Amino acid sequence: MDFVKYIDLLRKNMKTLKKVLIAYLVAVVIFDVVLPRDEAHAHYWIDKVFAFWTVFSIVGCFLLIKIGKGIAHLFLSKDEDYYG
Amino acid sequence: MDRWVHPAIFFFIGSLLLPFVKGKAKKFLILLIPVLSIIDVAIMQAGTYGSYQFLNINIVVGRVDKLSLVFAWVFVIMAFLGALYALHVKEDGHHVAGSFYIGSSLGAIFAGDYLTLFIFWEIMAFSSVFLVWYRKERRSIEAGFRYLLVHVFGGLLFFAGMMLYYFKTGNLVFDRIFPDNAGIAEYFILAGFSLNAAVLPLHAWLPDAYPEATVEGAVFMCAFTTKTAVYVLARGFPGFEILAILGTAMTVYGVFYAVIENDMRRVLAYHIISQVGYMVAGVGIGTELALNGACAHAFAHILYKALLFMGAGAVLFMAGTAKMSQLGGLYKYMPLTMIFYVVGAISISGFPLFSGFVSKSMIVASAHEKGRLMLMSWMNLAGIGTFLSVGLKVTYFTFFGKEAEIKPKEPPKNMLWAMGLTSALCFIIGVYPKVLYDLLPFPVEYHPYTLPHLSEMLQILSFTGLVFFLLVKKLQPEAKLNLDMDWFYRKGTRVFMKLDERVISVIDSFWGELYRIVGLNLLFKNARISYGFDRKVIDGVVDGSAATVRGVGSIVRRLQTGKIQAYIGLSLFLFFLILWFVLRGM
Repeated sequence: MDFVKYIDLLRKNMKTLKKVLIAYLVAVVIFDVVLPRDEAHAHYWIDKVFAFWTVFSIVGCFLLIKIGKGIAHLFLSKDEDYYG
Repeated sequence: MDRWVHPAIFFFIGSLLLPFVKGKAKKFLILLIPVLSIIDVAIMQAGTYGSYQFLNINIVVGRVDKLSLVFAWVFVIMAFLGALYALHVKEDGHHVAGSFYIGSSLGAIFAGDYLTLFIFWEIMAFSSVFLVWYRKERRSIEAGFRYLLVHVFGGLLFFAGMMLYYFKTGNLVFDRIFPDNAGIAEYFILAGFSLNAAVLPLHAWLPDAYPEATVEGAVFMCAFTTKTAVYVLARGFPGFEILAILGTAMTVYGVFYAVIENDMRRVLAYHIISQVGYMVAGVGIGTELALNGACAHAFAHILYKALLFMGAGAVLFMAGTAKMSQLGGLYKYMPLTMIFYVVGAISISGFPLFSGFVSKSMIVASAHEKGRLMLMSWMNLAGIGTFLSVGLKVTYFTFFGKEAEIKPKEPPKNMLWAMGLTSALCFIIGVYPKVLYDLLPFPVEYHPYTLPHLSEMLQILSFTGLVFFLLVKKLQPEAKLNLDMDWFYRKGTRVFMKLDERVISVIDSFWGELYRIVGLNLLFKNARISYGFDRKVIDGVVDGSAATVRGVGSIVRRLQTGKIQAYIGLSLFLFFLILWFVLRGM
C-alpha cells in the first residue's frame, strides 16, 4: 500500500522532518503573539499572556510524565498476577 | 404523529427473533434493528407518551424533549455502528445481550419517573455483564462478577434514594433538582447516578471490566453506561458544585492512569473516566453553554471513543493481545486500522477539523466564561494528557516504535467499514458542527473556530508532541498492573474471607453443635406434643383443608421443574406480558 511507503519515506528522512517540525512549533508561537486579542474574549490575565498555553503545555506534559511514572514506580505498579 | 413507538421495542423483540433466523437473514436482522430505531427517532416528535397511573405513582415511559432526543440520536447511531462491527460474531447470546443493553439504555433516557428509570437501569447492568462474560476467560468472568456487584451496589444507592424521595415528596417524578432543596434522598440518587458515570471514587469498576470484555462488547460498553449516567445527571443535577469539582478531578485522574497503563484497552478505559469528567464538570457548572457542552461532548465522545475501542479491538482480535509491551510497528500490517485509530485519537485530542475540537471546547469555554480559571486549567492539563496517552503513546508504541514479532493482518471487512463510517462522522461533526449544535437542548451561540481558540489548541497539542518525543523513552509501556480503588474491595474481600474462615465459621460450628445437642432435643419433644394437638384438634375443626393444600401443591410442583431454562423462559414471558400491558396504554 502506498500509504506505508510514505511513512517509510518520512522515517528515512528524520532529520529534515525534525527541522520542519521545529519550524512549525516556532510558527505556532508566533501565531499566538501576533494574534488580535479583542477585549470581548480576553477577560482574564490568562488570555493576555503571550504564548501562555505553550509554557503551560511544556510544563504540564513534563510533570504528567514525571509524576505519573514516579508514582507508578513508587507504589502503584505491581506484578500482573498481583490479584492472583 | 400522535402515536409513539418506543425505540427500545426494536431491540428487545428483534434480538429475540435472532436465534430463529440463519445466515444472511441473521446479518440483515442484526443491522435492521438499529436502522428501524434510527428511523423511529428521526420521526419522533417532542411530547410525553406512555403516561399512566400505577400504585398511585405517575409512570412516564416516554418523555421526549431535546435533552432526551440528543442522547437517543447518538445511541441509535452507535447501535448501528456497533452492530456492523459485531456482525461476524457467531453467538446469538452476544447479540441479544448487546441489544438488551442498548434497548434498556434507550428506556432509561426516555423515562420520566424514577421507577421506570430504575428498572431500565438494572436491565442495563445485567445485560451488559454478558458482554464481559462472553470473552469466556477466567479473568473476564471474575471481572464480570465484580462489575455486577459494584453495579448492584450502585443500584441500591439509587433505590434507597428513590424510596426516601417518595416518602419526602409522595411522587417519583424525575425532574431537575436544585442544590438548595437537595436532602439526603437526592444525594443518595446522585451517588447512584455518579457510580454509573464513574465519578471518583466510585470509578474503579470501569477500567476493571471494560478491558476484559469481548472485542465487540467493549465497543458497546464504552458508549452506553457512562453516557446514560451523564444524561440523568444533566437532567436531574445541573449546577451541583460537587459535580464541577469531581468532574474536573476525573479529567486529570483518568489521563494520569492512561499515561502509565500498558494495555491499549485499559488506557482507553481510564481515558473514558477523563472524558466523562468533562461532561460531569459541564453538568456541575450548569450554565446553558456548559450543559450544551456536556451533551455535545457526550455525542462526539461516544463516536470517537467507540472508534478507538474498535481500533484497539481490531488489534486484539488480529494480534491476540492489546498489550503495548508486546506490540510495535503495526503500521506495516494494519495501515487502515492505524488510520482509523489515528482519526479517533486526533478527534479525542481536539484537533481542529475533528469532533473533539467543537465539543470539549464548549465545556472549557463555559468554565472560562464563569471565571473558573482553575477548572479551565485542570481541564486543559487533562487535554495535554489526552493527546499524550491516547494520541501519542498508544499510536507510537502500537503502530510505530520498535517492531514486534507479531505480524497481524487487517481485521474483517465489517470491522473496517464500521471504523470507516465512524471516522467519517467524527470528521463531519468537526467541519460542520451545526449538525450537532442543532440537536442540543439550548440554542447555541458558541463558535469553536475563533483565532484565540485555534491558537490555544495548537499550542497545547504541538508542545505536548514536543515533550513526548523528548521523553519518549520514559514512557516505554511496562507489563505491570496499576493499583486503583478496586484494591479496597479486591483485597478487602480477602480479609473478610479470612475472618469468615477463622472466626465466623468457628463460632457458627460451635453454635450448630450447641443447637444440635440442646435445641433439637427440645424441638422433638415440642413437635411430638403439637403433632398430637394438630391431628386431633385442628384437622378435626378445619376438615378437608389439608387435602386441598396437598392438591394445589402437586400442581405447583409440576411447574417447578428445577430447570433454569424453564424459569428464564417463564420470566421472559411474564416480562413481555407486562411490557405489552404497559405499551398497550400508549
